[in-house]
Amino acid sequence: MVSAITLHARNLVLRPGGQPLNQTIRPGEIVGLAGLDGHGQERFLEVLAGLHTPHAGEVRLERGGQQTVITSFRRAVDNGITYLPRDRRATGIFPTQSVLDNFAISTVGKDARFGILSFRNRRKRYEGFRERLSINAPRPDAPITTLSGGNQQKVLLARALALEPDMLLLNDPTRGVDVATRHVLYDVFRGLAREGMGLVVLSSEIEEILVLCNRVLVFRDFELAAEMSGDAMTTETVIAAMFGRAA
Amino acid sequence: MNTIRLANIRRSLGFGALLLVVLLAVNLYLNPARFHPAAWGTLIGLAAPLIGAALASTPVILSGRGGIDISVGPLMGFVNAIIIQTLFLKGGVESPFVIVPVALLVGAGIGAINGFLTTIVRIQPIVATLGTYLVLTGITLTIVPAPIGPAPQWIKAFAGPLSIIPLAVIFLAWWLIRRLPYYDLLMAIGSDDRAAYTAGVDVTRVRFAAYVITGVFAGMAGLMLTALIGSADPNIGQTYTLISIAAVALGGVSLAGGRGGLIGAAIGAIDIFLLQSVLTAFNVSTYVLQVAYGAILVAAVVLTAVQERANRRERNA
Repeated sequence: MVSAITLHARNLVLRPGGQPLNQTIRPGEIVGLAGLDGHGQERFLEVLAGLHTPHAGEVRLERGGQQTVITSFRRAVDNGITYLPRDRRATGIFPTQSVLDNFAISTVGKDARFGILSFRNRRKRYEGFRERLSINAPRPDAPITTLSGGNQQKVLLARALALEPDMLLLNDPTRGVDVATRHVLYDVFRGLAREGMGLVVLSSEIEEILVLCNRVLVFRDFELAAEMSGDAMTTETVIAAMFGRAA
Repeated sequence: MNTIRLANIRRSLGFGALLLVVLLAVNLYLNPARFHPAAWGTLIGLAAPLIGAALASTPVILSGRGGIDISVGPLMGFVNAIIIQTLFLKGGVESPFVIVPVALLVGAGIGAINGFLTTIVRIQPIVATLGTYLVLTGITLTIVPAPIGPAPQWIKAFAGPLSIIPLAVIFLAWWLIRRLPYYDLLMAIGSDDRAAYTAGVDVTRVRFAAYVITGVFAGMAGLMLTALIGSADPNIGQTYTLISIAAVALGGVSLAGGRGGLIGAAIGAIDIFLLQSVLTAFNVSTYVLQVAYGAILVAAVVLTAVQERANRRERNA
C-alpha cells in the first residue's frame, strides 16, 4: 500500500549564483518538469532522488509528521523514493540478463524463502506486473534486449513499482516509446496518483506534461522560471517560460 | 526455458570446452598410460590447486568494474606457510578442525582487506591487490625462508583422487550462493554497476562480499596446494596468480564482469593443465610453456570477443 509522503525542497540552489527555489510535492499529485535540455530540470530531479548534492539548500521528506533530510540516493531508496533513470540503455537495463532478472533486481530479497530464492515466487510477482502494465514479452527468460523499447521501459517501471514506492521520480519515462504504450503508461501513472503516490515526471514533450500533470515547473538557467497549473498551463505559456519570455 | 538455458551454457563455455575436448584427445594419443582413466585421480590431484586458484579468482572478476584479485596465488602460499610452519611445526597443531577453519578465516581476512581497499578506499583493484600480492609474498618468505616439511598425514591424503573433495566443497558453496538473492545482485553489478546503483542495489556491499568469497576460496586452494606439495614452499604460490587469471579468461568468464561462472573457470584451468601436459610430452622447455600460455590467453580473449559480437548480431537480427 502507498503511504503518503511529501517532499519539501527548501531554498534549493542548483548552481552557484542561482535563485533559491522552494517546492512541495504532495501525495497524489503529478508534477511535470519542463525546460530546454540542460536547463536544470534534470538536476532538480536528481537532487530530489539524492543522486546529486545541491549547491545549497536541502530536500526534506515528510512522513506522518516525521522529517528526514535526503542526503544520499540510498537514503532516498530506503525512505520510499524510487527513481527511474532516463538513459535506458546506459543506466537502466542489464543487457546480458533476462527479462525476469531485470525486473527482479531491485527486490531480490522478496523472492527468498528462508534465504533461498524461489523462482516460482519471482515468476508470480512478475506475472502480476506483466498484466497490470500489459508488458508484451512472450518469454520472461529471454534476454531483455529481445523486447521493444516500450516493453523494456515497462519492465523497468515494473522493477521500480516492485519496490512499492511512495514517491516516484520519472526521468523522461516515455522517451523512445510508441504512442500506444505511452497511453498505457499514462493510465498507470494516473492510477498510482489516485492511490496516493506522488509522481514527478520530467518530460521533453510538452504535450505529455499537459495531458498528464496537475502542474508544471519550468526551468531556465538552473532556476525555476515558472510554475503553472490548470488553465494557465498551455503549450504557449510553457514554451514562453522555457525561452524566458513573459507569456 | 531449457533451450535458452542450454544455449546460454553453450555460449558461456564455448571455446574453452572445445579446447578441452581437443586437448584431452591429443593427450590420450600422445600419452595413453598417463591419461588412462585409472590415472585420472592422480591427474586431478596435480591439477587441483590450479583449478582451485581459478575458481577463487572468479567471483571478483564477475563483480565487474575491473574487479580482479591478483593476490590469490600469494594468498595460497601464505596459507600454506601458516598451516605448515606456524600451526603444525611450531604450534604442534595437527587437527583438521583447527587447520581448515584457520585456512578459510585467513582467506576471508585477506579478502576483506582487498575488499576494503577496492570498494571503500576505492583503489583500482589491480593496484590494491598488487599491494596485497607483494606484502603476502614478503610475509610468506619471512615465515618460511626456504621449503620445509612435512605436512600432517591427513592433508597429504588429499593429494590424489581425494583432491576432488575440496573442489566439490567449493562447487557446493557456489551452488548455494547461486540460490541466494546475493548471486543476482553480483551478476547485476558485474553487468552494469551504474544501472544496478540506480535500481537501488548496494553496489559497495555486494562487491566487498565478492572479495571475501574469493579470499575464502583462495584459502581452500591454499589447502589443496599444501596437500599436493606436502610441505611449505614460499615460492610456489605466486606462480598460480597469472595462470589462474588466464584460466578464467579461457573459461569464458568475461573480465569485464557479469558473465560466466565457476564451471567455465574450472574448464579453463583444466585446459591449461592439459596444455602443460601436451607441451611436456613434446619435451619443450618451460620457457616455451610461458610463450604458449600467453599465446593461448590472447587467442582465448580474442575468440571470446568475436563470439560475443556474433551473439550480439544474432540477438539483434
